[in-house]
Amino acid sequence: MTPESTNHLSEEALDDVLIGLGSAESHAHLAECAECRAQVKTFRGDVALFNASSLAWSRSRMPRHRASERSRVRLHAASMGWAVTAAALVAMALGIWHHHPAKATRQANTVQTQPSDSEAQIAQDNQLMQAVNAAISPDEASPIEEYKMLESPHLPPKAHSKKRMK
Amino acid sequence: MATVTLSTLRIASVQHPRLESALAERAGVISELDDIDELVRLHQARIRRFVTCSTGDPDLAETITQDTLLRAYKGRESFRGDCSLSTWLTGIAINVTRDHMRSGRYKFWKHLKASAVDVHEMASFLPSEAVSPERRVLAKERIKEVYVVLESLSYNQRTIFLMKFSEEMSVDEISEILGMAVNTVRTHLHRALKAVRSRLGAKI
Repeated sequence: MTPESTNHLSEEALDDVLIGLGSAESHAHLAECAECRAQVKTFRGDVALFNASSLAWSRSRMPRHRASERSRVRLHAASMGWAVTAAALVAMALGIWHHHPAKATRQANTVQTQPSDSEAQIAQDNQLMQAVNAAISPDEASPIEEYKMLESPHLPPKAHSKKRMK
Repeated sequence: MATVTLSTLRIASVQHPRLESALAERAGVISELDDIDELVRLHQARIRRFVTCSTGDPDLAETITQDTLLRAYKGRESFRGDCSLSTWLTGIAINVTRDHMRSGRYKFWKHLKASAVDVHEMASFLPSEAVSPERRVLAKERIKEVYVVLESLSYNQRTIFLMKFSEEMSVDEISEILGMAVNTVRTHLHRALKAVRSRLGAKI
């Protein structure tokens, strides 16, 4: 794994060391070669820096996340408010729309459900009305009878007016 | 492998006292898994970091992290204890990420590129060791270089690199979690390492 020309670890051997699969020969070389050791150390140092900063960054996201969660909750509450308002408006509109047809239907139902007047009831009502009329004006002659309008039903109204004026 | 339960471990520990430590460890993990708050406190940041660097999308990573922890909590009975809890969680995170990537919503948001990691912000979270201004500037540059070169890798190369060097998983564990042959994992690692080392080496 140690090329004779350079006396350093090959790229593949160095990668194997970094991965944790380095051979005993590679480790023996590393113990003696400061340059290869420096390469390993530099890589591990950079990765450690990256890991530490990225983890610290991730931890810092926690409060922001909670803040955004609160914002989401507020947004959710606002959305719910709008939804409730919209639902109330729709319910009102539906109520108004349903109000008139319902009334008409109720009216129609009322007419249909009313019992029709019987012939006897109508005759009784007529008798009552005639009795009332007789009680109000028992001796007065009707204008129709006075002018015998019923006897000359074909007389034109205008001629009848002129006759009356004479 | 059969699922290891506390009762089986207790019976085994009576017969084999050496298993007492395994029982204690297992009980600790179970109690950690049973407490969702503890699970979040101990593992959320690490999973979020892994998924963010893997997908390059912090918002998506937030969703995946929460899904991962929820899925782990719901499926805690299926934890067999044949790997560390963090390895098990990373495996779940990878599966959840795959599910999201297959969904049309991921493709839509990826197309919009609505969210991306602010690498300058990430690099500003330096460990306290880098105290001098010169060292801080240099360290920031190195962190940015690592992130930029990781972005240039394929998803598999990047994920495998992170599993190995950030999550400190073995090649065998990576192979098992990804369902990939060990040699394939090694090939991805070699390619990723070549890219990272050449980029970082050029900047030295």
